[in-house]
Amino acid sequence: MLRRFIKSKLFILLTVTVIVLIVMGLSSRKNSKIKYVSNVFTVVLTPFQELINYIGGQIDEASSYLKDIKALNDENEALKARIAELEDEVKELEGYKTKNDELKKALNIKHQFSDVEFLGANIIAKDMGNWFNTFTIDRGISDKISVDSTVITSNGLVGRVVSTDLISSKVVSIIDESSTVSARIAKTGNLVFVRGDLKLKEQGLCKLDNIFPDVDISVGDTIETSGLGGIYPKGITIGTVKEIRRKTNDMNRYAIIEPAVDFKRLEEVFVLIGKDNIEKAGESKDEG
Amino acid sequence: MRVKIVSYSILIFFITLVQSTVLDNIAIYNVKPNLLMVFIVSVALLGSNVEGAVVGFICGLVQDMVSGGPIGFYALLGLYLGFAIGSINERLYRENVLVTIIVTFISTVVYEFSVYFLSYFEKGSLQLVYPFTHVILPEAVYNSVVSIFIFIIILKIKRRSEKVAKDSRRY
Repeated sequence: MLRRFIKSKLFILLTVTVIVLIVMGLSSRKNSKIKYVSNVFTVVLTPFQELINYIGGQIDEASSYLKDIKALNDENEALKARIAELEDEVKELEGYKTKNDELKKALNIKHQFSDVEFLGANIIAKDMGNWFNTFTIDRGISDKISVDSTVITSNGLVGRVVSTDLISSKVVSIIDESSTVSARIAKTGNLVFVRGDLKLKEQGLCKLDNIFPDVDISVGDTIETSGLGGIYPKGITIGTVKEIRRKTNDMNRYAIIEPAVDFKRLEEVFVLIGKDNIEKAGESKDEG
Repeated sequence: MRVKIVSYSILIFFITLVQSTVLDNIAIYNVKPNLLMVFIVSVALLGSNVEGAVVGFICGLVQDMVSGGPIGFYALLGLYLGFAIGSINERLYRENVLVTIIVTFISTVVYEFSVYFLSYFEKGSLQLVYPFTHVILPEAVYNSVVSIFIFIIILKIKRRSEKVAKDSRRY
């Protein structure tokens, strides 16, 4: 009886299940060594993904080139006029700039990103399913990227690195439901949370939580990272408030954020890498 | 057997590549088909439950590696999906495209609900209606359409493999 059970498919199935569950548990820890297994596949796959991405980009370029010739002519005229206009403005602004520099020096504001390096990366793949908003970039451990590195564009915050392979890494964007960013309202400095939401992410938006009743928040306010939580550096723009909604009363409200980054048209990003991999203080689990 | 192993490996690699890159451009209502899942269903429908389980496991493992989550999550789901369909397929008239479409539709609903619940249950904000109408239902329809093509490919591989086996037995 027992021997027959051991030989049956059911037993094999159960054994495999238990083993996989153990592996899963081990690999879900941060910086787990088991994740190196995935290099086996991703190292082979990444060059192909890059190739397809490159071809796609070329096709896009060619088709838009043909489409745009006429539009470009019109735009050219308009731009020439605008250049003249702007040149005047530049002269004026240069005056302000020197003044601003002087004032900054006087205040002794440290440059907030002085201890990090910007590493450019291309997005080469998206998540395979429909639930998560993650993507793959073409830089990995060999470029000194580590888990929890911050990913940005010139416009604002994109997300953070969740796992790294040898030559690629996965980034979870701030509109993914598993993402929570500790943020603050730039105008008042009140702390809030920016979370991803399954409903909103289809439109490329996310949700602002934890707004206390006495907080003064209005449509158009800029939201930036707070620097708490130890993952994202302080002062990166996240987006602007698009709408404020009430659930039942004033105590219970949340806001819709329009991220500064357009997640539908994301192609190139920057990864922030600490120059000497500074141990981040105040590491906490739930904010990330 | 050798024909199957080689062609399935190539197919899995190719599907993963397509799934992670170009498929985003043909997404309808922000939803794209899950080719790997359709592949598991088709293989399991035409093969035995062991074949379904092994292919399901490998496809899931590949998805785990590419998605960056804990290793084993999709592998287990794929394993059970392949095993379950491989176990019931003898009761169905399995070389019929219509059967494939229906099985793919039902499998997608069950599979994607499992993925949704298992990945979000800790968040405590589970909903039933919204994910169903906005993600699962369109994906199930999309998958069912795609399953026709994948099913035909698998069927051809299976016939080819049987033919090779027959030829080699003759001598």
